[in-house]
Amino acid sequence: MIYIFLLIIILMAIVLLQQSSFIKNRNKNYQKRLVEDSLKHIYDCEHKKIDSTSLSLSGSLSLSKEKTTKLIQSMLQKHLIKTSGNKLSLTDEGKNYALQVIRIHRLWEKFLAENTSVQEYDWHKIAEIEEHKTSIENANKIAAQLGNPFVDPHGDPIPNEKGELIFQETVSLNEVKENNFVKVEHIEDEPKEIYQRIFGYGIFVGSILLVKKKSDEKIFLELNGKEISLSIVEADNINVSYVTDFISEDVIPLTSLNIDESGIISFISNGIRGQQRRRLLDFGILPNTEITARMKSINNDPTAYEVRGTLIALRKNQSDLIFIKKKEV
Amino acid sequence: MKDINKDCVNCPAHNINNLVKLGVDMKNFDFVVALAGNPNVGKSTVFNALTGLKQHTGNWPGKTVGRAEGAFMYNNKRYKIVDLPGTYSLLSTSVDEEIARDFILFGQPDVTIIVVDASTLERNLNLTLQVLEITDRAVLCLNLIDEAERHNLKIDDRLLSKELGIPVIPCAARQGIGIPELLKSIHQVANREFICKPYRMTNTTKNISKAVEDLNDRLKKEFPKLSNTRWIALRLLEGDQSIIDAIKTGEIGNLTIPENEN
Amino acid sequence: MENREKIIEIANKYRWEIGENIHDAILESIYSSASNITSKVVNKIGEKSKFNWDKWIDKIVTGKLTGFPIMFVMLAIVFWITISGANYPSKFLSWILIDNIHPYLKSLALSLSFPNWIVGLSIDGAYLATAWVVSVMLPPMAIFFPLFTLLEDFGYLPRVAFNMDFLYKKVGAHGKQALTMTMGFGCNAAGVVATRIIDSPRERLLAIITNNFSLCNGRWPTQILIATIFIGGAVPNYLAGIASSAAVVFIALLGVTFSLIVSYFLSNTVLKGEASSFALELPPYRPPRILQTIYTSLIDRTLIVLWRAIVFAAPAGIVIWLVSNITINNISLAEYFINWTNPFGFFIGLNGVILLAYIIAIPANEIVIPTVLMLTVLTNKLSGYGSGAGVMFELDSIQQTEYLLRAGGWTLLTGVNLMLFSLLHNPCSTTIYSIYKETRSLKWTMISTLLPILMGFTICFLVATFWRAL
Repeated sequence: MIYIFLLIIILMAIVLLQQSSFIKNRNKNYQKRLVEDSLKHIYDCEHKKIDSTSLSLSGSLSLSKEKTTKLIQSMLQKHLIKTSGNKLSLTDEGKNYALQVIRIHRLWEKFLAENTSVQEYDWHKIAEIEEHKTSIENANKIAAQLGNPFVDPHGDPIPNEKGELIFQETVSLNEVKENNFVKVEHIEDEPKEIYQRIFGYGIFVGSILLVKKKSDEKIFLELNGKEISLSIVEADNINVSYVTDFISEDVIPLTSLNIDESGIISFISNGIRGQQRRRLLDFGILPNTEITARMKSINNDPTAYEVRGTLIALRKNQSDLIFIKKKEV
Repeated sequence: MKDINKDCVNCPAHNINNLVKLGVDMKNFDFVVALAGNPNVGKSTVFNALTGLKQHTGNWPGKTVGRAEGAFMYNNKRYKIVDLPGTYSLLSTSVDEEIARDFILFGQPDVTIIVVDASTLERNLNLTLQVLEITDRAVLCLNLIDEAERHNLKIDDRLLSKELGIPVIPCAARQGIGIPELLKSIHQVANREFICKPYRMTNTTKNISKAVEDLNDRLKKEFPKLSNTRWIALRLLEGDQSIIDAIKTGEIGNLTIPENEN
Repeated sequence: MENREKIIEIANKYRWEIGENIHDAILESIYSSASNITSKVVNKIGEKSKFNWDKWIDKIVTGKLTGFPIMFVMLAIVFWITISGANYPSKFLSWILIDNIHPYLKSLALSLSFPNWIVGLSIDGAYLATAWVVSVMLPPMAIFFPLFTLLEDFGYLPRVAFNMDFLYKKVGAHGKQALTMTMGFGCNAAGVVATRIIDSPRERLLAIITNNFSLCNGRWPTQILIATIFIGGAVPNYLAGIASSAAVVFIALLGVTFSLIVSYFLSNTVLKGEASSFALELPPYRPPRILQTIYTSLIDRTLIVLWRAIVFAAPAGIVIWLVSNITINNISLAEYFINWTNPFGFFIGLNGVILLAYIIAIPANEIVIPTVLMLTVLTNKLSGYGSGAGVMFELDSIQQTEYLLRAGGWTLLTGVNLMLFSLLHNPCSTTIYSIYKETRSLKWTMISTLLPILMGFTICFLVATFWRAL
């Protein structure tokens, strides 16, 4: 009895400890969160060159009118924003603050993509929470661990410590003329459903697409030797840049090799990132390398491949993203 | 101890201050030797063959726990040998790779032994070439040579030595084959009887080599004594924080080898 | 100073121009140098030999029909060698440390007229617990670890991960968890440390938390003893052997099932995510070096784990002695506790003796049964067994043990639930300590500790309730 009793006491102590500090900080954290989200909203509007107002703010934060007014007042007091008529705009201080939050958000997304196995559609959600909790020092630590990245996994630039960021010139996939090769530079992560559908096609930042045909509702593309079609709405969420020195090849995924068949690796899709990608490169799995399927595990997954004289077992979800040219026997 | 300070050509190259920071006690030792290599190449066997199994290797499956240290005597010189974790690379961000890299970069061991599996030489050269970008003083231990022969592979070790610019010793550490020669090479490199001219990579893409050349020039100007500026430049291009910090503090300027001092 | 900042600034400018693929480009250039050099210095003489041993072995050990049977046979052989081989050295050590040195120390201390409580505390408490842990833990570990290392050096273990991966993939874990789990069959503390072979932190954490579900060396003897007495006793004589071994195997498999279920549960809740990188090297087979392996695994694994166990055993021995010897109104603390917890014990189909034994025998599962026996004698005032309050003992004959336990009110239900509880309770202190050392996190250490015990209480309660309802 005392046993379970002790355990319950310990458990309760932990919960209580967390709770008490939680309640104390809750109000403060909630305010901080509102301010940061507002600054982000105004920054976003300024970036997109649309006006942000108290109305757009209350809509974006789903906050009542009175609360929004109070929030704006407090931000005015802190000199984070200024108003001209209806329009809200950021002061220099506010802009720096907004960029800091954006930096933390995008670093988190990058971290989740590179160093964890959290799924694509959860990155944004987690980063939305962590951006309010992470200190600047910890953000710098994350940045250092990731090799101070410039771009988040959606292709958005990550501001540096000083809040400077570089934007890349891109065009919407819908604006690309037929028979052009383009590289995916940015995929909008909201709304989530569309984002999920886009990476469901196997399109990642860095993927090379050939625009084959366009109609009023659809755009037909070639990706990794396969033909796919996107709706105009989906394509609108993808930004690309033109590539000129790309040679189209007939490639197949590594998975389609049968036992004792060989191929030459053509490229590794950008869907494999971070640690996973580095591990593959370390094993010598990189373009222009011969690779031979050697044996399949029970249930056909994983498969062991021979590369540069060693056997490396890969799961299907990885070998699906490695593209090869089959070697004719 | 007598002849060490006679002329600086025989000076040990290791960086005492950094070694102490890395937790290596160099009291009573003349030289420090690092042992690097991929997993599964018999690195522990080489370690045991050199130290005569007087030290245990601390191997949990697959991984050396932290760092194992051992010692041996050769020609009246006392060598401390540090077994680095087995890694495939020094460029990724795993903890093991960082330990191994920091030891070679900041500890500046007098000799780094790179143990490779002779039958999968190509794969093993990945780590070898990376080590050679960092340090000038290395010996390649071409281990498991017997196994390679069984697979009908013949390796021209003299040509390999010429290509890499460091001594290459074919070994079968398990049977003790090649260990006396390995000891001799370690001694020669440590005492500057053999001057390494390590292979340095050149064939990167155009825009990378342009950036590397530019940064290389600037680094050389700022840190004239630094020998591996090209590698430092590459690390900067990968945004490596510990290198950025070492440049900001100027600590990287201290990583010089004695022969360049004169 | 300015120059340095400038260099970094310029580097950042270049980084932007080059883009994110620099790591790929550098490795491509390294490998192109590597293959260039290799093609110059490596010559293939003659044809590759027609018969390739490695391929042949791989075909068999990863074959669809042969893979699994071989794995089970290997595992069975390792356990058989461990259990039967450990028997004699264990008996020998216990003969020296417990049967001879212990009484000798005691009489020596008494002849030097030390006060009774000092003798009890240090010799019956600290010394005896330590001696017990050493004699029961050392031999099986000294056999199991080298065997395991030999399989590893030979190259077989990565193939096990390769075979088992499909199961672990389904629960969001890494195939190498099969190896750390198997290691856990020898010792959970060693299994926890062995999770270092798993690269990615999430999957490693899964492997650490679920390792305790592998029935470790210290728990096999408990399982076998209780199964022999209660399961074997519940069926006709000619079935006794089969039924009791089947029960033990069932418990072990139940543990494997739980480890998979918990992994699945965790990877869908707190440790959300899909099993990430699985790039597993299958190294070539190599004849293992037997002597060196025995030496190094003895030094590295066995002694480290043993040392950690001893550190916890001595204080626990003192506690065991104290709770049985400190009395209030002629009733020992142990009895108070046992009487107090008996209702709860009954509630989950166990009893107060078992609950107390699991608390004070936390350093090692090996001393649970001796503690249970001692406490049973103490609370039921049985005479003629053991050598006094707070002195652990074991009986040579199973009949006598059975008589003692039944006298303590044990039934078939107690036996079944003890087997379940032995599988599902907090890890031993050595393992908890190792978990903390590996995770460096109190939170995960707490979860790994509390999760199994809560599961144990729940399952024992359910079994007891259904049992009594039937």
